Amino acid sequence: MNEGLVVFVRSIIGFFTLLIFAKILGKQQISQLAFFDYVLGITIGSIAASLTTDLSSRAWPHWVGLFSWALLGYLMEYITMKWRYAAKYIEGEPTIIIMNGKIMESAMRKMRYTATDIMELLRIKSVFDLAQVDFAIIEPNGQLSVLKKPEYEPLTAKDMNISKASTGISTELIYDGILIVENLRQLNKDKNWILRQLKKQGIKDISEVFLATLTPSGSLYVDKYEDHIKKITDIGDYKGPY
Amino acid sequence: MRKFLVIAIPIVTLAFFILVMNSDNILKHPLGKNDNIPGSIQLVMQDIQAEKWKDANNKTDELSKSWRKVVKRVQFSAEKDEINAFDMNIARLRGAIMERDKSDAFMELCEAYEHWHNIGK
Repeated sequence: MNEGLVVFVRSIIGFFTLLIFAKILGKQQISQLAFFDYVLGITIGSIAASLTTDLSSRAWPHWVGLFSWALLGYLMEYITMKWRYAAKYIEGEPTIIIMNGKIMESAMRKMRYTATDIMELLRIKSVFDLAQVDFAIIEPNGQLSVLKKPEYEPLTAKDMNISKASTGISTELIYDGILIVENLRQLNKDKNWILRQLKKQGIKDISEVFLATLTPSGSLYVDKYEDHIKKITDIGDYKGPY
Repeated sequence: MRKFLVIAIPIVTLAFFILVMNSDNILKHPLGKNDNIPGSIQLVMQDIQAEKWKDANNKTDELSKSWRKVVKRVQFSAEKDEINAFDMNIARLRGAIMERDKSDAFMELCEAYEHWHNIGK
């Protein structure tokens, strides 16, 4: 028995099964995962690990375990999608913790949050004064959503009756010194145009550029390999190994 | 076509994996020459019964060779413990044949058969 080879083959089985099951289970980001989804992920990962390296038992029972957990996870997702009543229990629901500027003590106690926790979550949201808060809601994933009182909201172009053009999403034109022709064509530009733009910034060749992006509104961002910055600001507050 | 591939590739991959993981039950059976484990065990038993110890020793070598062939096929799906236990049975069988101990030899052969039988279960 070639253990190395067996583990390699089992790794392939475990890896691709996990990939397929993860794809089926959905694309939630780690930061958006609720606690149960987090535990589900850990358990499925752990079963896949033992499928790979536990040679004292057959791969099949581990795989069935992996499949069962993924199937139950999928069923849960399906139920919460189709049945709002169950979703309320399984996924939880948002809880208003501050309403019209007043702290809801009973809701806070029910959620097992202390005033310190709320203050901390508010600070993470850049709110340092409770008087600025109109509404604060604890989301099912534990994050706090804050709506400030109108007088503390930042002034917008609409408030000033100013019309602003949409900037759009920037598209990569050059990456790692290589021109991405398809993206250039998509924005109705050609190679000569980009070369002219680079020349204006004192760049002779595309290979000098690390990244260049362009927005539909025409804003071009160019970053060269040579940054010519001699003194780099150190944001570390104490000495470390590097 | 793209949608078909997106669905078909994972299904075919999973089906292939299921086949590999359950292949031991099929691959442990004789598929070619000199890979019949129950047959080889039977032959060694006959020689031991007739107290043909030299022949029994040669047949044990044959059994060992057959087992190595089968192991190569079932290693990806079978339990490592069952494979190791069968190897130990062959080693102890050699000792029993050397000592011309009939009962020990039969015990090892019966246990080896059970380990072979358990593969894929």
